[in-house]
Amino acid sequence: MSRLASPPSETAGRPSLGRLVQSELLKIRSTRLWWALLLGAILLVLVQAGFTAAFEGEDQGFGDTSVLPPGDSPELLRTVYTQGFFGGYIFALILGITGLTGEYRYQTITPTFLVAPRRHPVVVAKIIAHLIVGAGYGVACTVAAVVAGGAVLLGKGFDLGLTADGVPRSIAMSVLAMALWTLVGIGVGTLITNQIAAILVGVAVAYIVEPLFGLVLSVIDAESVGKFLPTAASTGLFESFAYGSELLVWWQGGLVLLGYAAVFAGLGILLSVRRDIT
Amino acid sequence: MTREGVPIDVVGLTKRFGSVLAVDDISFHVEPGRVTGFLGPNGAGKTTTLRCLLGLVSPTAGSTTIGGRPYRELVDPVGTVGAALEAASFHPGRSARHHLATIARGAGHPERRIDEVLAIVALDTVADRRTGTYSMGMRQRLGLAAALLGDPPVLILDEPGNGLDPAGIAWLRDFLRGLAAEGRTVLMSSHVLSEVQQTVEDVLILAKGRLVRQGLLRELEDPDSRAVLVRTPTPERLRDALRDEGLVETGSADAMIRVTGATSAAVGAAAFKHQVELHELYAEPSDLERTFLELTGGEAQP
Repeated sequence: MSRLASPPSETAGRPSLGRLVQSELLKIRSTRLWWALLLGAILLVLVQAGFTAAFEGEDQGFGDTSVLPPGDSPELLRTVYTQGFFGGYIFALILGITGLTGEYRYQTITPTFLVAPRRHPVVVAKIIAHLIVGAGYGVACTVAAVVAGGAVLLGKGFDLGLTADGVPRSIAMSVLAMALWTLVGIGVGTLITNQIAAILVGVAVAYIVEPLFGLVLSVIDAESVGKFLPTAASTGLFESFAYGSELLVWWQGGLVLLGYAAVFAGLGILLSVRRDIT
Repeated sequence: MTREGVPIDVVGLTKRFGSVLAVDDISFHVEPGRVTGFLGPNGAGKTTTLRCLLGLVSPTAGSTTIGGRPYRELVDPVGTVGAALEAASFHPGRSARHHLATIARGAGHPERRIDEVLAIVALDTVADRRTGTYSMGMRQRLGLAAALLGDPPVLILDEPGNGLDPAGIAWLRDFLRGLAAEGRTVLMSSHVLSEVQQTVEDVLILAKGRLVRQGLLRELEDPDSRAVLVRTPTPERLRDALRDEGLVETGSADAMIRVTGATSAAVGAAAFKHQVELHELYAEPSDLERTFLELTGGEAQP
């Protein structure tokens, strides 16, 4: 064996947070999952943003509250351009879930914790790396929403309206919210370490359980609770069209989302640090 | 090796998983500069012990240290201990080079070392292929490459011979002995005694979570029970010859005579001296395997 051909640097081997974040970013970048998920997200966003813009001002068929605002209203513009979030957040959630469950599934958690045996810096690094990639997803999906939604609006003779009332903030917030959803995913992944089960539960809760729960709450006149559900809180944060539902003020919605992300990420740190890796 | 040797110490280690006592109060010391075999049947508690050593599993009682420090308190874990625990801990969609880079990057070790370790384990030509396409032997070698990344003074390898062909095992033997000769501490586990017999000097034998023997491998062999088998068309003349040379016959069947406590060279010399025609002469296989099976409860392992 060639003895240490490369002289060790002063700080070699000390796993700093910055190095661990770089390692986590490389883990995401070096498999194909990240772009497959992003591709799925962009396709869904193109469809959702395109259709939302196409149906501006139209009645969706269930009463007064189902009439979309017209194409020149800021509310419609905010709704169209934040479809980047509504189309893509489930993919950001899945990316976050696989961030930790993938390590358990393929047993790479062993080398990961051998590099940083104190463990919590690894989970913090994972959270930071996923925030970065999640924000990247947010930007890409928002661009897709603007391209598809904007093209339809222009085609119908409206302006793009990117600087209309509240639109820039809603776009910025939808990028941030996308990043936060990866943290929810990391938390779900620590609670349910089986990758397939975690993804199924995550998607089912976001797409089926939460809407049903919201519906039940609105039927029993408990919308003051329903507005705190994650998707409703996101809608509040973006000030997008909500079919007449009661919403939180934008900054309240943001704080609620931040709360969800913090709770799940915190669970991720706590649970990972204690668990035996067998 | 210019560095000081780094020993491994385990004191009173106990690990209980629910109602299962996986490791039961074991203590041992692993010396630098030698290859130590950690032997025992599957399920004896070897892997759990190694995982406790590496801070992956929290012991129920007892302590484990590497150079006097628990793994979790090492300043440079990757540069102190190289570990290869199972041959499958890679993402199948990630290339070998990227796998090693995630470790080097996280630990802050120079990435040019990646090419060095890939060349050592002869994976340099396939380094950019996804590990999902690798054979079991290639995975073992990639695990070894990861362990060598920090050029550590301590190596902990769990069943490194699994999935290697005979040539691979021979290579591994020379390689590990070379690392030990540089002053490194090498602890390797195996459930197949014959696999490590020519590699290790020290042995730790574990059975049902308890340490049943520790010491030199050669102490495990009982020299008095070594025997040579010899076949001749003239057994009476051979018996006379053996008697003259003071060799003890301990049994015979057909034309085979069994001689205990002598080397095959001594028996051959005796026959030659007395001009006895021999048709076969060979040393009986070592009974080390038998001793091992007795120590570990005698259950045959696949």
